[in-house]
Amino acid sequence: MNTIIFGALAIMSLFIFFNLGKVKASRKQLDRTNRINRFGNKESNNIIEGESIEIKNEDKK
Amino acid sequence: MSRHSAINRFGRSTNPAFSRGFDSASYSTTLDEKMTLDGAVNKTGILLALCFSGAFIGWNIPTLIWPAAIVGFILALVTIFRNPSKARSTAPLYALAQGIFLGGITLMYESMFDGIAIQAIGLTFGILASLLMCYKSGLIKPTENFKLMVVAGIGGIFLLYLVSFIMGFFGSGISLLSPTNGSLMSIGLSIGIVCFASLSLVLDFDFIEEGAEKGMPKYMEWYGAFSLMVTLIWLYLEILRLIAKMRSR
Repeated sequence: MNTIIFGALAIMSLFIFFNLGKVKASRKQLDRTNRINRFGNKESNNIIEGESIEIKNEDKK
Repeated sequence: MSRHSAINRFGRSTNPAFSRGFDSASYSTTLDEKMTLDGAVNKTGILLALCFSGAFIGWNIPTLIWPAAIVGFILALVTIFRNPSKARSTAPLYALAQGIFLGGITLMYESMFDGIAIQAIGLTFGILASLLMCYKSGLIKPTENFKLMVVAGIGGIFLLYLVSFIMGFFGSGISLLSPTNGSLMSIGLSIGIVCFASLSLVLDFDFIEEGAEKGMPKYMEWYGAFSLMVTLIWLYLEILRLIAKMRSR
């Protein structure tokens, strides 16, 4: 009985692992701001906000 | 000057050194070489199969357990600290060596407590599946604080192992770690260790998920599967010890 119960548990668990493991985690898990930053996933922000002004040679003088 | 305006003004470079890296053919090749969830799970399956094969050998030839344990330990250190990109070759060997060790250890426990092996295997995979469900559904959310807590706990546990190991040279040891010590304190300690080993599975799931999401190199599939195996083996050994303690009461 012991073998049947725990054997079935092991097989069922492995089945769940091999099926669920290939599915992407829920948005609740992935779309968080407090995730662990292992691979340096914070992208550098190169955008400088503000207005651009064209500088002409005449202005320099 | 923005990138687009540079291309508009000067046109695309015909320099082969630049075109080699950025043409569409080579880019599609690199896309194929990225880590995926499927790949990591399949590789974990391969490592588990090798571990079970090793366990069969260790069960039948118990004299191999200590050489296998030492080889497995060295391979784990090489994979973690030396070169994770070599995990493709070291992880299968590690799984096989640790399988031999686990087979021998399980035989020793099984001779003392009948039917303990299947109980430990069932509970280990049960914890694996239930924590995977908790992780995928977002019920357990690994954060930096979570990681800090788990790493600090594991550090403390390994310090305890180290002290016990050193004391072993002088003919003594920490009795709380003994599998035949059925005291409540000893069982409580084992439950705590099993909890930390289980929580570190969540960190492994998150590592694999994030690696696949960020498009890490293909070898990281092997590394992710390897880290999952290390945790599973530790969890199995601790569950074996916990059941042995409970049966010794």
